[in-house]
Amino acid sequence: MKLLTHNMLTSKCMKGVTVGYPLKIKAVDVKENEIDFNPDFISRIIPKLDWPVLVKAADSIGKNDNLPEDLLPEYESDTDFLKKVHHVLLEIDIVNGELICPETGRKFPINNGIPNMLLNEDEV
Amino acid sequence: MDNCGKSSLSRKCDRKQKRCQHIVEKETGIKCTLLASKSIAICNAGLVNGLSEETVYQNFIEYGPIDNITMVPGKSCCFIRFKNIESASRAFENINGKLNIGQNNKPVYLSYVESIPNPKPIYQNKMPPGLIVIEDFISETEESILMELCNFNEQENGSMKHRHVKHFGYEFRYDINNVNKDKPLEDKMPQECDFLWERLKLRHIEFKPDQLTVNCYKPGQGIPPHIDTHSAFEDPIISLSLGSSVVMNFKNENISMPVVLPRRSLTIMSSESRYAWIHGITPRKLDIIPTQNDLSVIHRSTRISYTFRKIRHGECDCQYTQHCDSYAKRLKSKSNSIKNKEAMELETTHVYDVYDIIALHFSDTRCKPWPNVLKFLHSLEVGSILIDVGCGNGKYLGCVPNVFSLGCDRSFGLAEVAGQRGFEVFSCNCLNIPIRDNTADGCISIAVIHHLANEERRLQAIEEMARVLKIGGRCLIYVWATDQQRNQQKTSYLKQDRKNRKENGVVVPEQPTENVSVTGDITLPVHQNRTQFQHQDLLVPWKLKAELAPNNEENVFLRFYHVFVEGELERLCSQLDYVKIVKYYYDQGNWCCIFEKTK
Repeated sequence: MKLLTHNMLTSKCMKGVTVGYPLKIKAVDVKENEIDFNPDFISRIIPKLDWPVLVKAADSIGKNDNLPEDLLPEYESDTDFLKKVHHVLLEIDIVNGELICPETGRKFPINNGIPNMLLNEDEV
Repeated sequence: MDNCGKSSLSRKCDRKQKRCQHIVEKETGIKCTLLASKSIAICNAGLVNGLSEETVYQNFIEYGPIDNITMVPGKSCCFIRFKNIESASRAFENINGKLNIGQNNKPVYLSYVESIPNPKPIYQNKMPPGLIVIEDFISETEESILMELCNFNEQENGSMKHRHVKHFGYEFRYDINNVNKDKPLEDKMPQECDFLWERLKLRHIEFKPDQLTVNCYKPGQGIPPHIDTHSAFEDPIISLSLGSSVVMNFKNENISMPVVLPRRSLTIMSSESRYAWIHGITPRKLDIIPTQNDLSVIHRSTRISYTFRKIRHGECDCQYTQHCDSYAKRLKSKSNSIKNKEAMELETTHVYDVYDIIALHFSDTRCKPWPNVLKFLHSLEVGSILIDVGCGNGKYLGCVPNVFSLGCDRSFGLAEVAGQRGFEVFSCNCLNIPIRDNTADGCISIAVIHHLANEERRLQAIEEMARVLKIGGRCLIYVWATDQQRNQQKTSYLKQDRKNRKENGVVVPEQPTENVSVTGDITLPVHQNRTQFQHQDLLVPWKLKAELAPNNEENVFLRFYHVFVEGELERLCSQLDYVKIVKYYYDQGNWCCIFEKTK
C-alpha cells in the first residue's frame, strides 16, 4: 500500500464511525520501489492531497524525508521537492502491517501490500 | 323587493327566489346580492338536475356577451358571468321565474351574486408539454377519402355505449386497457394512411404505427378521461380529426387545459402529454371555452378520429412513474425480490467464493481491455485519481499513464492476482467503499454490479461510486445485458460457440432449464452458456479447468448474475439527483452508463 492510497482511505463506512480518517498505520514490513518520476503528474496530485495527513503518515513509519509541515507556495517549480513527494507518495510500499480506525480501534490487516478493508456483516 | 311587484305571482316568485338564494349561499359559499352585478346564479337548477352548459349558454347568450359559465359538479345551481351589468340585468328580467329549463321543465330562479366559483381559466392556446396540433394537415379531398374508409352509418358492430369504434392491426381491448400483442387482426393497417407518415417525415418526425383505432363521435358523444396504457403503446400517439372540430380536455394534477382539435388537424401526443396527462372529450353538442373577449363556441358535428399507435414490445421505462403500469408492476415484483440477508448469502456463495476459487483461471481469460472502456480512461487528465470498483485481475489499472489507478475487489483471490501484477489494490465490498467523499476524478465498475442480488444493493453500489467521485468527476458502469443479440448482431459471447456464428435466428437453449436451490427458499435457473438469456436473475456456470482445480478434476461453479434489461441501468443511475447521465449505450452484450456528479 502506497501512502497516496492511505491518504484517501477511511473507515467511515463502519457503523458508529463518523469521520474514520486518517487511519493510523502500523507498518511491519516496508519496501521501497523505484518508480519513474513525472513532475507534472506529482504537481497535479499535490492539491488533491490532505497534506498534513501525508506528512504525519510518513512520520509515523519513519519515512518523512524532511517534508515541510506546510505546503511550499511555489512547489510546481521546485523539482527537489516534487521528487521528495514522488518518493513518499509512490515509492514507499507498506507490504505487511495494519491500518487502524482512529475512532474504534478496528484493525485492517495489510498482507502482500493489500489492505483488507472488508467489513463484517455486523459492522455496517 | 321592488322588482317582484305586489301580485301573488310576484310574491310566489319572491318567496321561491329567497329560498333558493339561501341554498346557493349554503352550498357554494357564494354571496347573493340584491344589487345588479355581472354575475348571476341559477339557484334551482344545475348539473344534478340535468341542466347542461349548452342549454345555459343557448338561453343566456341572446342577452349579451358571456365570459364564463360555471357548472358546479354535484350541485343544483350554476353560474353565469356576463361581460357587463346591462346584459346581466336584461337576462335577469327576462329569465327569472319565466324560463322553464329547470327540473321537469319548471321555471328557474335567479339571483345576482358577488362572484362565481372557480371561473374557468381564459383559454390562451396553452398546451400540455409534448402536445403538438398541426392544423390543416390534410386536404378536404383527403379527408373525404379517409372518412369513406370506415363507413359507420349502417354498421352496428363494434358499437360501444357512447360511440362507434373499429380497430386495425391489433384490437384494443377496453376490458383490459391493452392489446393482444401476439394476436394481430386480419384487418391490416389501411394503406390509404401511408401518405401521413411521408408527410410527417417532411417535419423530421419518424413514425410508423402498427395499430389504428377509428372512433366515430356523434354530437353529444365523448370519451371518458384516460391515459393510454403505457405498456401497450410507444410514445407518441397520433390522432387525426375528420368531419368536425372538437375540444379535448387535458388534465394533469390540478391543471386543466382545453385544447381545440380543428377538423383536418393532426394531434401528436408525445412525452409528458402522452404519459402524464389525462385526456378526454366531454359528451356534449357544443364546446364552450372562455377566451380573452368572450366565450368561444364550437358546434360539433359527426367527428371521426383516426388514432394511430405503435405497439410496445416489452415494458415501459418512462419517468412518469405515477401513471405507469410497468412501473407499478416492477414495484410489485421488487417487493417479492430477494431480501438483503439472502442476497448477501447468495453473493457470498455464488459470487465471492466462486471467484476466489476460479481466480487464476478467470484472470487468464480476462486480458484484452474493451475499447470503449479504454476510451473513457484516456479521457482522464494527467494527475487524475481513478478508482476501479471490482477491478478483478487489474486489467484496467495499468492502461493509462499519469493517472493514479486504485483498484478494489471483493474477491481476495482476484485482488491478490492484481496485487502480484504490481497494481495498487485493496479488498472491500462495493457496497461500502472505504474511500473519502469527493476524492476520485474517475471511477469505473466493469461487469460488477450485475453480481448484486437485489436492486437496493445495486443502487447502493452506484451511490457509493457517486459518493467517492469529485463534483465534475465521471463514472463508467458496465453490466451484462439480457439481450445478447441486438440489431440482428450476435455478441461475441454468443459467437464463441461456433455453431452460433452461422445461424441467423435467436440462440435459445436446447435443453430445458435446470433450477438450483441456492439459499433460503430461493431457487434460480441455470443459464446455458452461449445462448440468449431467458431470465434476469440466474446462475451462470463456470467450468474450471482440471489443472487449475483444487482436486485436479473439471468442476462447474455457478455464479449469480442479474442481467439488465434495456433502460434499467440508466433508470437506476438517474435515481440519484446529484448525477447527470452523460451517455447510455449498448456495447457487445452490455448496458453501459457514464454519469457525472453535479453537486
